[in-house]
Amino acid sequence: MGTENPNPPSYPVRPAATPFAAMQSTPPFLSSGPVAGSESSSFRPVPPASSQFRAPPFSSGPVVGSEVPAFRPPPSGRSNELVGPPPSSSSSSSHGPPAAGFQRFPTPSLPSVGHAVPQRTGQPVLSPTTRPAAGTVASPPISLLSQPQPPSIPMGSPPPSMKTGQVNGNIPPPAHQLLSSSRPNVQPSSPPVRPSYVTTPGISQATIPGYVNAQPNTVAQAQPMQPASFTLQQRGYAPGAPPTPFLAQQRSVNPPSLYSGNQMQHHVVAPPTATSPGLAEDFSSLSLGSVPGSFNAGIDNAALPRPLDGDVEPKSLAEMYPMNCSSRSLRLTTSGIPSSMSLASRWHLPLGAIVCPLAEPPAGEEVPIVNFVTTGIIRCKRCRTYVNPFVSFTDNGRKWKCNICSILNDVPGDYFAHVDASGRRVDLDQRPELTQGTIEFIAPAEYMVRPPMPPLYFFLIDVSISAVKSGMIEVMAQTIKSCLDSLPGYPRTQIGFITYDSTIHFYNMKSSLMQPQMMVVSDLDDVFIPLPDDLLVNLSESRNVVDAFLDSLPSMFQDNTNVESALGSALKAAFTVMRQLGGKLLIFQNTLPSLGVGRLRLRGDDIRVYGTDKEPASRAPEDPFYKQMAADLTKYQIAVNIYAFSDKYTDIASLGTLAKYTGGQVYYYPSFQASIHKDKLRHELTRDLTRETAWEAVMRIRCSKGVRFTNYHGNFMLRSTDLLALPAVDCDKAYAAQLSLEETLLTMQTVYFQVALLYTSSSGERRIRVHTAAAPVVADLGEMYRLADTGAIISLLSRLAIEKSLSHKLEDTRNAVQLRIVKTLREYRNLYAVQHRLSGKMIYPESLKFLPLYGLALCKSLPLRGGYADAQIDERCAAGYTMMALPVKKLLKLLYPNLVRVDYSVVNLSPQTDESNIIRKRLPLTADCLDTRGLYIFDDGFRFIIWFGRSISPDVVRNLVGEDFTGDYSKVSLSPRDNEMSRKLMKILDKFRESDPSYYQLCHLVRQADQPREGFFLLGNLVDDQNGGANSYADWILQLHRQIQQNT
Amino acid sequence: MVKLTMIARVTDGLPLAEGLDDGRDVPDSDFYKQQVKSLFKNLSRGQNEPSRMSIETGPYIFHYIIEGRVCYLTMCDRSYPKKLSFQYLEDLKNEFERAYGNQIETAARPYAFIKFDTFIQKTKKLYQDTRTQRNIAKLNDELYEVHQIMTRNVQEVLGVGEKLDQVSQMSSRLTSESRIYADKAKDLNRQALIRKWAPVAVVLGVVFLLFWVRKKFW
Repeated sequence: MGTENPNPPSYPVRPAATPFAAMQSTPPFLSSGPVAGSESSSFRPVPPASSQFRAPPFSSGPVVGSEVPAFRPPPSGRSNELVGPPPSSSSSSSHGPPAAGFQRFPTPSLPSVGHAVPQRTGQPVLSPTTRPAAGTVASPPISLLSQPQPPSIPMGSPPPSMKTGQVNGNIPPPAHQLLSSSRPNVQPSSPPVRPSYVTTPGISQATIPGYVNAQPNTVAQAQPMQPASFTLQQRGYAPGAPPTPFLAQQRSVNPPSLYSGNQMQHHVVAPPTATSPGLAEDFSSLSLGSVPGSFNAGIDNAALPRPLDGDVEPKSLAEMYPMNCSSRSLRLTTSGIPSSMSLASRWHLPLGAIVCPLAEPPAGEEVPIVNFVTTGIIRCKRCRTYVNPFVSFTDNGRKWKCNICSILNDVPGDYFAHVDASGRRVDLDQRPELTQGTIEFIAPAEYMVRPPMPPLYFFLIDVSISAVKSGMIEVMAQTIKSCLDSLPGYPRTQIGFITYDSTIHFYNMKSSLMQPQMMVVSDLDDVFIPLPDDLLVNLSESRNVVDAFLDSLPSMFQDNTNVESALGSALKAAFTVMRQLGGKLLIFQNTLPSLGVGRLRLRGDDIRVYGTDKEPASRAPEDPFYKQMAADLTKYQIAVNIYAFSDKYTDIASLGTLAKYTGGQVYYYPSFQASIHKDKLRHELTRDLTRETAWEAVMRIRCSKGVRFTNYHGNFMLRSTDLLALPAVDCDKAYAAQLSLEETLLTMQTVYFQVALLYTSSSGERRIRVHTAAAPVVADLGEMYRLADTGAIISLLSRLAIEKSLSHKLEDTRNAVQLRIVKTLREYRNLYAVQHRLSGKMIYPESLKFLPLYGLALCKSLPLRGGYADAQIDERCAAGYTMMALPVKKLLKLLYPNLVRVDYSVVNLSPQTDESNIIRKRLPLTADCLDTRGLYIFDDGFRFIIWFGRSISPDVVRNLVGEDFTGDYSKVSLSPRDNEMSRKLMKILDKFRESDPSYYQLCHLVRQADQPREGFFLLGNLVDDQNGGANSYADWILQLHRQIQQNT
Repeated sequence: MVKLTMIARVTDGLPLAEGLDDGRDVPDSDFYKQQVKSLFKNLSRGQNEPSRMSIETGPYIFHYIIEGRVCYLTMCDRSYPKKLSFQYLEDLKNEFERAYGNQIETAARPYAFIKFDTFIQKTKKLYQDTRTQRNIAKLNDELYEVHQIMTRNVQEVLGVGEKLDQVSQMSSRLTSESRIYADKAKDLNRQALIRKWAPVAVVLGVVFLLFWVRKKFW
């Protein structure tokens, strides 16, 4: 049945909707209208029972009951994939014999269910073909719920060779037997409420009352089913919720769907072998030619899955726990937490989370702020968890049970509120901390070691000859000056400057002066501070002096011929000045530090060490001075951002440790030239200075007993085993944490995570941002795979790989990445392939379909690619430091950049071309996609590469580039010109930039066949192609496939 | 010279503002800040402290004034002229009341007026050196009768609360003891009564018994 499902595209996307769609195909019940109506009336009491849902309000609610088309709210490929298909078969089983079901179960509840079903069928029938099928299959009434899962149907653009459900349909997945054996009465003979369909409890709940009145006939019947289903769910997730009468009567309904009522369908009970041929297959497969040895046989390059829609976040978790914090702030690598250590060890991918504590909420949304200063913040007395939506109130509201350690806490008198029959507090709607996953508390005085610090910016500027020559100083001074008005924290903002070459220059910025006074200290070994105050001044008071300083800075050093750079000593001086307050230290470094403490050797990049054991040493920091310094800086709440500009070796590996351990960031502008890189530096420095920053922060992630975060990756200093010290945090930084199981067997059904970030805002308020999330514990590996999140996995995996590359050879690191992917897929294959005899196919879970490609992209990314000649050592290290801090979405874009063709929309002069359309048409990253007549933009979030095809019309080029379009493109920059095409292109570029404001994407123009420029900028970055000795995507898949097949 | 400046609300001891990078050259500034905090706590318990006072602590001395339910406190060297310190506090008070006077009662979070630290910083610098012309002039002005301001030791001040605690403890002990005493006295009374009348009762009983026996057998 499932297979012949005639209308895959019209599948309602939301699981909740699916039953309706399916039910429409069973006509027999049309006649039962009146009965249904009466039933419906008897069902009105149900809603209250279901009211345990703490977050009922879902605006989309009312839609549910109405017409089918309305059911496709947010198109979520994944959930869809999970639940989409079942309705067809289930409808056959459950509604086919509806009458029978009805009579057999005279209890009020069941019939209603039976009715609900047909009732909905009363609506327009989707496709006539399904009807007879439904009738026939229906005859065995017990053939319940076989849950087919043709996975790829709903996904964006299913590659032709992807197998959809039918192939192995009649062999149930193993998990299935497992489950049914473990639960003897799984096999209900009752007709069927398929609880699993309704994934979003909130929705149905909200609709109920309104609908009963509004559309008594059609909708009222629909409802009875919903409450049932989600109470069931509720029971699964929150044990102890009072079972509703309804639920009680339906005991036969699938108790097994304990965790994830919606996701387990494919496991559910008796496979009607003959009747439903299209059984579930919850994985995708790729035919790779039957014989592993036969190269390229049957591999269809275009069919390989590619993330052309960008990062698709799994929605299932958010639907399961609507009160979870957004995936912007916390993403788990798999939402199914393994229930035992042995299960965890079979999950070969990293298990953990990516946390971006200050992720920007989308426009229009704000993090609610709660003030608990008078009562004190409500926290668990044992584990110090903050009060959150998942705590439960008992004892009439006098106690609350911590969801993380399940201890009972007293509710303080001021916070007391009565609890209604279903366990909800009556004041729930006034308590955002009990309904929202992300919340901000205003911290009382106990959370302050000292009064909130003012925002503080200190600039440490290298003014040696290369800095002057490149024009960096001028751009920087202008930029800082233009930002002075928008620095956060007015009027408390503090600012200070030190410049250095072979000596250190201090500037007295006392507000009463007209001009800054410069003081030169040349003793590098024992740096002293020439002035106790006024090196660090209040910006609003000394504004004139600061302006005067920035105006004169470029000219002050324009004749400087000093080539030395005493960074280490200058750093110590800056540290002494800043240590009272902390703040942000921005270092502008142009050459290798050559004098004083912390001088670095010209280690260089030696081709001979590649492939030997000495190789990783060049990527690891050399001088312990910088790490030591970073530790001191962190202790005094100073964050360091490094701006490096040199065209020669600067040892970013060593300098970067400053940023790494102080929660900072590395910006690298190789061979900086003011004329070319001006805009980039200006934009990025402006963002660094003006974005909302959280100061003197600490972060801790708490999680339920039995699991523990063990390793953390990113830019921070670990203060104790689990406390991350972050002198400055902002929305562009994410942190990864690895999870491990502490107990061999987890007994609970849900694991909770709580991220708490205590920080001082720029306005001088101490606040705590708390994100809370819940995830189900699963006992089945297949479930873990299904709930996996490729984005988070790749994020964590790349951090691990980059860290590994500092102590291992690149080759080994890449192999380790590959091995992990191979192990993962092999494990998955072991899970399913044997039964399915898929020897010639590579199978992978739908949720991980992009994993191999991202893995390949990771191996080809700047920090890990190739060997000596493929990337400069400094660029490698800088990219490594950057990738360690990137949030998931940006990282994925960097790994698999956007490639779009724009010549049509540029040349087409009609003004109303829709730019947003272009963005959606992403192309696979392969040279085959490049048309010689085309104009393409390659956007990896950090730069744009604009590729001009060989046979593109010269007019276009002239219009865009100007008269010298035949010249050397490395010297040409793209600037707005006075013609329609140029304006169009600029508009497109601006649109791209808008979507990703954290870095400035500088345009590089590349002409086809303009080697080596083309190779360097574009061809080397086309992930799908073979480049520099690395595999192409197809080869990579073949290679993975071969390795997977070994030892299986 | 001013080492530390803190402003707090007297009603609940909530800190409202504090000088920027205070205690830079005080070796154990945290210890003194702690003392200040407990001082504020004492004040918030509503003991009737004079509105101006100086409190000695180690090598330093706290000066504070309480005005409009806000306490302005500074810590100086002992050698620093008292008059100047109070003048400094007076300056702070005037500016603070001008800027935030109407929000003081409604401030809900600690350090709600932390922005005031820039003013504190500025003013502090003016009072840095006792010998500037301006400060000497101030010293000569008889603005305040500072001699009458009480000077006490910090231990005493912080001890007041302790002593009160002791007294209340003692009194509560006294109550319970006296209750016990009353119980015991009642008990004793009863016993005395019994002792007094018991022999008489026994004799009467015997007599009645005899009477009864005689009646029965005769």
